[in-house]
Amino acid sequence: MLLKIKKLMKAFGGLKAINKVDFELPANEIRGIIGPNGSGKSTFFNLVSGVYEPDPGSYIEFDGKDITNEPPHKVGELGLARTFQLLRLYQDMSVINNVMSGYHTLVPYSFIDAVTGRKKIWDQEKVIKEEMMELLSFVGLADYAELNASELSGGQRRLLVLARAIAGKPKLLMLDEPAAGLSPVNVDNLMKILMRLKEKYGLTLIIIEHILKVVMDTCSKVTVLDHGEKIAEGTPTQIKDDNAVIEAYLGKKMDDEEMRKALDV
Amino acid sequence: MDKFKEIIRQYPFLGFIIAFIILMLVPSVFFTDLYQSHLASLICINIIVAAGLNIVKGYCGQVTVGHVGIYAVGSYTAGCMFLYLGSGLWTTLPAAILIAGLFGVAFAIPSFRLEGPYLALATLGGGEAIRLFIENGDFFMSTYGISNIPQPIIFGVPFDTPDKYYYIAMPVMLIAVYFSFSVLRSSVGRAFMAVREDPISAAASGINVKKHKMLAFVLSAMFAGGAGAVYAHLPPGYIHPNNYTVIEMVTFLAMVVFGGLGHIWGGIIGAIIITIVYDLTRPLYEYQLFIFGLTIVLTILFMPKGIGGFIDKYFIDRRFKTKTGAATK
Repeated sequence: MLLKIKKLMKAFGGLKAINKVDFELPANEIRGIIGPNGSGKSTFFNLVSGVYEPDPGSYIEFDGKDITNEPPHKVGELGLARTFQLLRLYQDMSVINNVMSGYHTLVPYSFIDAVTGRKKIWDQEKVIKEEMMELLSFVGLADYAELNASELSGGQRRLLVLARAIAGKPKLLMLDEPAAGLSPVNVDNLMKILMRLKEKYGLTLIIIEHILKVVMDTCSKVTVLDHGEKIAEGTPTQIKDDNAVIEAYLGKKMDDEEMRKALDV
Repeated sequence: MDKFKEIIRQYPFLGFIIAFIILMLVPSVFFTDLYQSHLASLICINIIVAAGLNIVKGYCGQVTVGHVGIYAVGSYTAGCMFLYLGSGLWTTLPAAILIAGLFGVAFAIPSFRLEGPYLALATLGGGEAIRLFIENGDFFMSTYGISNIPQPIIFGVPFDTPDKYYYIAMPVMLIAVYFSFSVLRSSVGRAFMAVREDPISAAASGINVKKHKMLAFVLSAMFAGGAGAVYAHLPPGYIHPNNYTVIEMVTFLAMVVFGGLGHIWGGIIGAIIITIVYDLTRPLYEYQLFIFGLTIVLTILFMPKGIGGFIDKYFIDRRFKTKTGAATK
């Protein structure tokens, strides 16, 4: 198992945002996480990536290492990359610098080398830059390398975030609504690029997405969260017919008797 | 020309040797009196401070208004070492850099929790506290100031006049600028920028945010400390607590903002221009602060990235045009 989570818990005051969620993910799988708004999907990501500290009793293991209370940069160093719902791009940095800063943990020279500015560093920087340019041309942003990230369009920004997360060669990539706000054509394009990147870098993916078509088409397994609890897990077709899932999304199906009772109150 | 640029990029040290030779020749070609040499030394000192300030404020995005306090620490380390131990520049300079670095650690700690204007207030308090401590301490000669701090003697030649002292200040400045360029152009500089733009996102990429804030503060404190020591030995070798007030801090800030926050040349361009303007406006003494305040406000309004950013934008746009046949925006 690449990612193993036991009894994950997080309460904000009295609200149990995540309540005893167990989760297991083998390598090379594409896992979808769905659920209505406020069901704890993003909190789940923040807990795993170390942005929030889980409540006592939780246990998270990544690639054989206990990362339950590790700070986010440690988790990132171990090869768990993530994107954010609100992108969090480095607006005032060039596109190439955005991607190169994603490579930070793999930079081969030390701080002392950097201060003294030895020649070897510039050779290594050149190699890194070439590698990152290759990644940029792979997602189709090579022509914009020298522009500021803030000058890109919405769709290009989504691609850049993807490239930045992959730059560090992660083992597991967690995507928080990668296709939010894209037109159907762009969603297809993004998903095509994502699948090619998965092939090329051997990634394992967890995707939070509201566009169900994306989840149903790409994910091999889907986990459904509601009110911080895991209510279902299975293949997309299983999930589609699951009563608990339908209830969470559309509400309960009532017969006449129940309806009358509910209205009387 | 492009070939030349490529060589400089490959061997940055070569560029600095060329700069050194040119700057060695400047006084004999352009300077007509001692005062101009004095001004040139001052520019060198200000470049060191501004380059350091650009690391912490321009690149790492930490608003610090206490840098003048660290500058004072550098100066008074040099002054006190001369006063009590009789040391010269070659021992006081490393000592000042070291002690200023320690003060940098102290200034970095509030930045772990505070941000923006709150951090500015905390550091402003810190800088002002250092000045008041010096002003009221007999150990530091309080308001008498420390005088007759000696200039170094190399091969029996005393560098005790402004025109000679330029040859001390200038190489120190070049070494400092070399270090700042090396750091900012490496992955560490990129990590600083990432921390400035979005700490949460930076941490997700595996960048240790606290460590890099600490690095930025300590590095820039070392720059300020070194500059302080060079300033202490500047002929006539006199330092006084009044040289380290908030007014000086505003001037340093004006240099970085005007030159271009987060631009590699920012602090340097700003330091040269502002120091010269500061000197030319000396007859209008009572309006000087007004002029610098206005400079900062107008720069932020109309040229948010300063002169450096202005030049940069021009070059980057041109590069983009040649590639795809279209201009940005």
